[in-house]
Amino acid sequence: MINSLLKRFTDHTPSREAAKKRLKITLICDQLEVNDSILINLQSDIIQVISRYFEIDREALQLEFQRDKNISTLAFNTPILCVKKELGSAVPDQGDKGGQESYKKKKK
Amino acid sequence: MRCKLKGRIIVITSGKGGVGKTTATASIGAALALEGKRVAVVDMDIGLRNLDVVMGLENRIVFNIVDVVNGKCKPSQAAIRDRRIENLFLIPASQSDNKDVLTPAGMERVGKLLKKEFDYVLMDSPAGIDRGFENAVVSADEAVVICTPDVAAVRDADRVIGLLYARSITPKLLVNRIVPEMVANGDMLSHEDVIDVLSVPLVGLVPMDQQVIISSNVGLPLVMQNDSTAGQAFRRIARRINGESDLSIQVPHHQKGMWGMLASKFGKKE
Repeated sequence: MINSLLKRFTDHTPSREAAKKRLKITLICDQLEVNDSILINLQSDIIQVISRYFEIDREALQLEFQRDKNISTLAFNTPILCVKKELGSAVPDQGDKGGQESYKKKKK
Repeated sequence: MRCKLKGRIIVITSGKGGVGKTTATASIGAALALEGKRVAVVDMDIGLRNLDVVMGLENRIVFNIVDVVNGKCKPSQAAIRDRRIENLFLIPASQSDNKDVLTPAGMERVGKLLKKEFDYVLMDSPAGIDRGFENAVVSADEAVVICTPDVAAVRDADRVIGLLYARSITPKLLVNRIVPEMVANGDMLSHEDVIDVLSVPLVGLVPMDQQVIISSNVGLPLVMQNDSTAGQAFRRIARRINGESDLSIQVPHHQKGMWGMLASKFGKKE
């Protein structure tokens, strides 16, 4: 109780979440042997492509990593605000998976 | 020589140095011997031996693992018997050689010899993933990966886990030096976080404990100190390795002071 009160006054931000997030990204990079800038470029490309067809909330975009014994999955999740009207009908049948793109590679 | 079923070789490894491999090897080895098993702990850190001092056996070294591999002596001649714990033996590393004097082929051959004489052989791997690691892991049937809850250790553990999978070994994870207060404050990765990131089965959780330093100062087995929280955790881990797979994993919790006790009482009423 005292601790949590103190925390409120000192505006303590727990570092654990930061550690976990950094680790997950680092491990994916280690495993795929790609660097951070590739992931950042990939992310901005994906945002560009999706936002051609949908209004998305760029702030809420999340990178998620799931790891299994053999497979790593990199998922981009974004809430879709609405379909862009002017392009909605002319869309070819790609990029319609609810804003989720996966990138998989077998673990060595 | 004893005629019996084959023993098990377990490599204790981590990738990163300084996370507690040697303490874990000494403690799990001692605890397995206290369970009545015949145990050899082997120091594979050639050139930087430490398992002998941690166990308090540094004055009794005659032969070492390099002598065994080179055929200068039999495994039983190099094995130093611990006088406090029955059935516990140490095969020390050589201090004068470097790790390249051993070859994986030589270690594989010695591993087979050791399996005939002991129920458990624990290989204390050196840090790193080069030849020394390879020598330690080549004869292993199983592996325990030690990891502390920090980003550097977890990253290196991940690398080692990948290398072990490549050798068809599914390692078990031991999270060492957990500080429950920091986990509670959100300033340390919890064991759930570590498992989530590494996705390997857990063999046990060991809290940070000053007794680890104290018992290594005097070369006494940590698992025989009844007031050592880490020692007790290692004993449970040994029981789990020794077939008691149902034994629950205890999560280190922090001993609450007066304020903490008051806070939790108030907390309940709310």
